[in-house]
Amino acid sequence: MLDSDNAAFIQTGVSISLASCGPDHLPSMSRGLGCKLLDGGGQVCVFVRRSQSDALLDHIGHSSRVANVFSLPSSNRTVQLKGDDARIVPFAIADLPIVDSHIADFILEVMPLGMPEAVVRAILAFRPDDLVSVVYAPCAAYSQTPGPKAGERLG
Amino acid sequence: MGLRLDTIRECLEGVIPGHIATCDGEGMPNLAYLSQVQFIDNDHVALSYQFFNRTRQNILAGSSVCLMLTSHLTGAQYRLTLEYLRTETAGPLFEQMKAKLAGIASHTGMSGVFRLLGSDIYRILGIEQVPGPTVAPPPPTVNYLTALRRATGRLAECGNLARLLESALDCLGSEFGIGHVMLLMHDDGRGRLYTLASRGYPQSGIGSEIPVGAGVIGICARERIPIRIGFMTSEYGYGRTVRDSVEADGQGDSLEMAIPLPGLPEAGSQLAVPITAYDRLLGVIYLENVADLHFGYDDEDALVAFAAQLGLAMHHHQEAEELAEDDSSPEVTPPAPAGAPLRARHFAANDSVFLDDDYLIKGVAGAILWTLLSDFVERRRTVFTNKGLRVDPRIRLPGVSDNLEARLVLLQRRLEERGAGIHLNKTGRGRFSLAVERPLELVSD
Repeated sequence: MLDSDNAAFIQTGVSISLASCGPDHLPSMSRGLGCKLLDGGGQVCVFVRRSQSDALLDHIGHSSRVANVFSLPSSNRTVQLKGDDARIVPFAIADLPIVDSHIADFILEVMPLGMPEAVVRAILAFRPDDLVSVVYAPCAAYSQTPGPKAGERLG
Repeated sequence: MGLRLDTIRECLEGVIPGHIATCDGEGMPNLAYLSQVQFIDNDHVALSYQFFNRTRQNILAGSSVCLMLTSHLTGAQYRLTLEYLRTETAGPLFEQMKAKLAGIASHTGMSGVFRLLGSDIYRILGIEQVPGPTVAPPPPTVNYLTALRRATGRLAECGNLARLLESALDCLGSEFGIGHVMLLMHDDGRGRLYTLASRGYPQSGIGSEIPVGAGVIGICARERIPIRIGFMTSEYGYGRTVRDSVEADGQGDSLEMAIPLPGLPEAGSQLAVPITAYDRLLGVIYLENVADLHFGYDDEDALVAFAAQLGLAMHHHQEAEELAEDDSSPEVTPPAPAGAPLRARHFAANDSVFLDDDYLIKGVAGAILWTLLSDFVERRRTVFTNKGLRVDPRIRLPGVSDNLEARLVLLQRRLEERGAGIHLNKTGRGRFSLAVERPLELVSD
């Protein structure tokens, strides 16, 4: 589903958001704090803060459906993945370096755009025991970079 | 009491894009980033509709909307639950958003890609702050309530229009801390705005013109709504826009092009606020700054409130000047001026007036000056009234709604800037006198 270029892209200093829908089709969303690929790229594991994601986690538990956007602020390059088999798994403490490096990469990405580091650190602040992982196999991928190819299916 | 949107409006400036989540009929979620969210009131926002995408399809199919906003000042995140109401594709709100989007597009390298197709209006069903740490916002540079209280107090002390305008611009500098400002009056009959005063520029630009509808100032006038742009964009640069627009409509001759508009060559932030009174557009206050995002919603609110006070005061002074009785004081014949003669030349085609071959002014103000100078030369007349000018067939004022007093202020200032030895001096309500320091030679073409 993801070629190597996009697989690498979603693991850089991108902004990450994860959404789901409840039984009444009410959408929910939270920011992600980095991701990793499993099964040779066949599955995506996104880290979110439980304390900020009550509705999102509830909806994923109910529907297993997710929309996941990765966007690089400096270029507006944006990719959206969809999944219909999402599940919530405990955060593995071994993944902590991934979260730390994601935040460091994101700060490097947005500071040249004028964002104060303290504000970015507040937006992405977390406690390790508050993290939870959402794992899904992307069933569709789209380019969402603004422009003529926006909405084009990838892979 | 729940969170009010008017307390978190910095989230809407487009520094950190909003995230919008929707859901299709099968229950599949969709996420998109959003360039712009516009505050309407505490119960309504408008989102920019730029592309017909999955989000758009879901919204039109009746999806609920979850919008995430983030403050670039504090890092606070908010989730809004929204209900789509309608889309506007023209009008004041659309123009406000279109102008703001042009700045955002330019800032994000998306000029030519971001194009506003519509303003989607939503009802706010709820606002929730996402748990998490925040940082203290930077302290405000101005206390707007204090500035507004002091400024409106100073406006109330002014006894005539000229003083009012001076005081208004002084207040914008000293009370609101604004370094670059222009005040333009509306010429209703010609669909133009003319600069009557400015601060913070090497040249005052008094008398320079801009067509209604052109650039950030002209669109503000046409729509009678504040236009605020937070990032530098050539799309709304008034200098170039004026020339393009005038050339396009073939009216290059009628627009004042000889006097250049003042302005910063590269303004990061622009704010144009209409001055209205009793449903009439009187003019526009235009502010700019080299920094990005210098003007926010609070600046806009304060300036709109200030402009409302200013508009009422301008209306009052105009009425007072118009209603003043003709002066019965006797004409005092001045001694004949001595020295080298000053040649004043008038071109009837556009009422332009040149002093010693240097262009001074044209249009209604030109016609007024020529009438005054003609009466002075022919009858040694020095005392004039607004009422007299209003009915003088040589001047052809556009209508009773025209702000004659503002045109006199314009003329007075152009004369003072030129320093040619011709002065208009206010002598009372609706009255003024002409003083000429050199012998006049009038040439009419």
